Amino acid sequence: MIGVISYLVFFATVASILSIAVMGLNLQWGNTGLFNGGVVAFFGVGAYGTLILGGTPQAGQLGGFGLPYLLALFGGMVCAGIVAWIVGLLTIRLRHDYLAIATFGVAVAFETVMRNTDALGGAQGIRGFERPLRETLGNGFTYNLAFFAFVLILLIATYLFLERLIQSPFGRLLRAIREDEAAAQSLGKSPSRVRLTSFVAGSVIMGLAGGLYATFYAFISPQDVLPILTFQIWAMLIVGGAGNNKGAVMGTFLIWAAWTASGWALSRFAPLEVQLYTGSIQFVLIGFVIVGMLLWRPQGLFPEKLVVSQSARPNK
Amino acid sequence: MIQNLVDGVLVGSILSLGAIGLTMAMHMLRFANFSHAELLSIGAYAALVFDGLFGAIHPALAKAILPLSLTWSLSLALLLSMALTGLSAVVIDKLVFKRVRAKGGELSMVFASFGVAMIIRNFLGLIFGLNPKLYSQDIVFAIVVSRDPFLLIKPDQVFTLVAALLIMFILHLVLSRTTFGHSLRAVAENPTLAQVSGINLSRMIVLIWLIGGGLAAAAGVFYGLTNQISPVLGRDLVLPIFAATIVGGIGSIYGAVLGGFLVGLASNLALVILPSGYSPAVPFLIILAVLILRPHGLFGEERT
Amino acid sequence: MNGLKTSALALGLAAGFASLGTDAAAQDCTTKIGAVLPTSVDWGKPIAATAQYAVDIANETGGVAGCQIEMVLRDTQVDPKVGVDAAKALVDLDGVQLLLGAVSSGVSMPILTSVTVPAGVMQMSCCSSSTAFTRLAEEGKTNGLFYRTFATSGVQAAVGAMVARDAGYKSVAVFYKNDDWGQDIGGLVADDLKALGIDVTASIAINDGQASFRAEVTEALKGNPEAIYMALYPTEGTQVVREWISLGGTQNMIAANALKSDEFRDNVGMQFLGNFTGTDTASPRTDSADAFVAAYTAKFDGPPNGPGLANSYDATMIALMAMHAAGKDATGADIAAKIGAITDPNGTPVTADAAGFAKAKEVLDGGGTVSYQGATGNVQFDKNGDVSAPAVTWVFSESGIEEQKYLSLTEVNDFMASLN
Repeated sequence: MIGVISYLVFFATVASILSIAVMGLNLQWGNTGLFNGGVVAFFGVGAYGTLILGGTPQAGQLGGFGLPYLLALFGGMVCAGIVAWIVGLLTIRLRHDYLAIATFGVAVAFETVMRNTDALGGAQGIRGFERPLRETLGNGFTYNLAFFAFVLILLIATYLFLERLIQSPFGRLLRAIREDEAAAQSLGKSPSRVRLTSFVAGSVIMGLAGGLYATFYAFISPQDVLPILTFQIWAMLIVGGAGNNKGAVMGTFLIWAAWTASGWALSRFAPLEVQLYTGSIQFVLIGFVIVGMLLWRPQGLFPEKLVVSQSARPNK
Repeated sequence: MIQNLVDGVLVGSILSLGAIGLTMAMHMLRFANFSHAELLSIGAYAALVFDGLFGAIHPALAKAILPLSLTWSLSLALLLSMALTGLSAVVIDKLVFKRVRAKGGELSMVFASFGVAMIIRNFLGLIFGLNPKLYSQDIVFAIVVSRDPFLLIKPDQVFTLVAALLIMFILHLVLSRTTFGHSLRAVAENPTLAQVSGINLSRMIVLIWLIGGGLAAAAGVFYGLTNQISPVLGRDLVLPIFAATIVGGIGSIYGAVLGGFLVGLASNLALVILPSGYSPAVPFLIILAVLILRPHGLFGEERT
Repeated sequence: MNGLKTSALALGLAAGFASLGTDAAAQDCTTKIGAVLPTSVDWGKPIAATAQYAVDIANETGGVAGCQIEMVLRDTQVDPKVGVDAAKALVDLDGVQLLLGAVSSGVSMPILTSVTVPAGVMQMSCCSSSTAFTRLAEEGKTNGLFYRTFATSGVQAAVGAMVARDAGYKSVAVFYKNDDWGQDIGGLVADDLKALGIDVTASIAINDGQASFRAEVTEALKGNPEAIYMALYPTEGTQVVREWISLGGTQNMIAANALKSDEFRDNVGMQFLGNFTGTDTASPRTDSADAFVAAYTAKFDGPPNGPGLANSYDATMIALMAMHAAGKDATGADIAAKIGAITDPNGTPVTADAAGFAKAKEVLDGGGTVSYQGATGNVQFDKNGDVSAPAVTWVFSESGIEEQKYLSLTEVNDFMASLN
């Protein structure tokens, strides 16, 4: 029984960390209409930043500054914000699919740089990071429980922050620009500045998620920042429902549960000779889930509650 | 240096073929189709199967057309594979994209294409295994074209380039001389207006998938001929093909052709400056550079 | 949560081979072990199949510590998140005390730091080559729970350089897979070659999932090297070599063991591999190695050639023997503590097949220690769980792969010392 609880805490921690990243994307896509195809770059900058700032020195590697943990985590977010700001300046005026592919390229370039720069860990990645409070809490279940609580607090904080943000005049402005950029511009607003702000803010949140992720594993390598993660985070948002933070969190838990449970179920119930094919089968199943979802309920499980048009019929 | 330039053009022709279909579908249906490169895989594997069949029917067909490693049976298989892949593109559209189109927005389509790509890729892996396959295990030596500057060219690659250019030329004739070509352009410019003037939109979509799929199959077979076939072929080629499309400008067929060559050239020339570890990033550096200078690609027009 | 459950096993082999076992009576318990391997990639699937094969052999002899072994296999998708989650599920839900895997260091490392070490589960990797594990062990953070049967890349790099020297090559171009293993061995071999006075004309990274390596090959051709060294897997190795040969590059080739594959030989063609020399960590000079190869060939319709296969086999065998030595209901730490009893140089030599497994159990039950003569050599772990091993050079032949020269552990160590 303790095993099941221990696993659930572990699962919930990873899902909560991913939820934070999904909410960051929701701010960019759901609320502002920015098609960020390079989520993993900002997630990765946060992760690398946190470990480099907070880790112990390693031979031949940059960093190991050993900053206090919260400062390192914050530093990772700042790094993500700076990178997002530069990327945003270059790409924010691009149309949807152009923006998606340009940012996707940024993510691939990021991974390539990390893989080839020895000072940033190279293909081996960055280690030598001490998880905070490990001395006090030990290394086992208690630690995981405490860390889960910490992640949960940050998840709730991010959620509340974003909810307040989209209720605020700035949030209304975001939606206005998403719906009709020209109209917003004619009212004297600068859409590109607002979009850039939203892009940077969303990326900082992704950086936070990345920092937590790296903390949890006390390790990060180029393998953690492959495009598949961008895809996973997007799938979570789409299934949950873009524009709705509750949906973003629910979508994350559902997709991550489906992703892991399908592997578990195949390993348990598939016949022995099929076991070696489970990888391919799992990806086929995931593909079907995504396509099926888009066919069945393209607005996601928890669609955005539109407050724009008051005259529309009440929510069913 | 000159070798890199020539190699770039030879590799680029494959990307061009892939990019033509992608640019047409992206323009017409207004979504970034991440499953397009999987059509190359379907084409390459379909040709592999047909090639085996023909070779079994008549051994003479399995003889290579010297100096190429291409065989008669593979040439026939290529034609069949183009037809079959075109049809599969239509079927995929019928089963998935058409329905998603009817329900959701642009992003739903992009996501559906991700899902479709995943299904196709792993299905091929389940059927044919994950190991790479070859049309012919023979290695055909490159021909020394000139000693100074030193220049080597592989016969297969020259054939690929000529065949690709020929296919593009036929397409050019179709687009500029036939009613279909005119209708296609009309639809691309203004779908609503085109429909009012009596063009059957859904038939145009079917034709675009047929052409795009056929060209993709040719690209897949040519790629297999000069490299190797594996289930992740589509995954490896999707980004260079996207780069070619975007550099050319979405919707511009001639842009796609040029974009393919540019991306091929840039990837080959990049190693002159950059260590090879960085080559995966090269197509994107090109995309970024082009988009910053010309946000709609070299030949693309602005649209909303 | 030691996962002892009664369940019918899918393998009906136990009965047939019961005569081999020492305790074949009353087989009504099953012990689960976990495996997290990348079954969704081309080179990962055979590694998993080989691990399962080793488990089958153990079960043939009557199982481990009186119980049949059930290997629960999970795919990592080469995604660290997925791998770590799978490992955590195996540890928490299935209660495994022994975890085999992963292949990529980037997956094995987070599993080690966040799952197996905190839970006190023993982790045995066949193929993770990163030097980061050594450093982690030196810092005392693995709690002695991590082992790997992948000999550190230093041996193969040195032997590769030795081959180049013995063949009299004056210049060599190096191709390496752009991952932790390739970067490591590629860098080492370049240093070793330079130390021997051989010119390294180019060191070229070969990236995963790249459509064409034409430009990379052209780049290497420019230096006009007398030979090439390859630390590549068969998929990209085939592509690079075919391109290289067709462009008229030299057929003097040296390669690390990852290219020891029939697929590579067939797709390149014997006529071009006359001057190809491979390196590998070696099997000892005993009949057992041949027996293992023969048994494997019969089972899989081909010899155990491919990246990590022999390592995966040894990893599984050693771990299972240690599990037997630790007895029923052993914890991960118990099992890890018994590794020394399996790889004791002074122990009774046991072969890497069913008979060897049965003999090992017999010796261990009597309180003795054994020296496992594995598929990759008479494996010995140092205090960090790393392996050092003798080396061998091999060549492709019409009938398969043939050994050329054997280098004992002393020879290897002496040569490596001479390089510095």
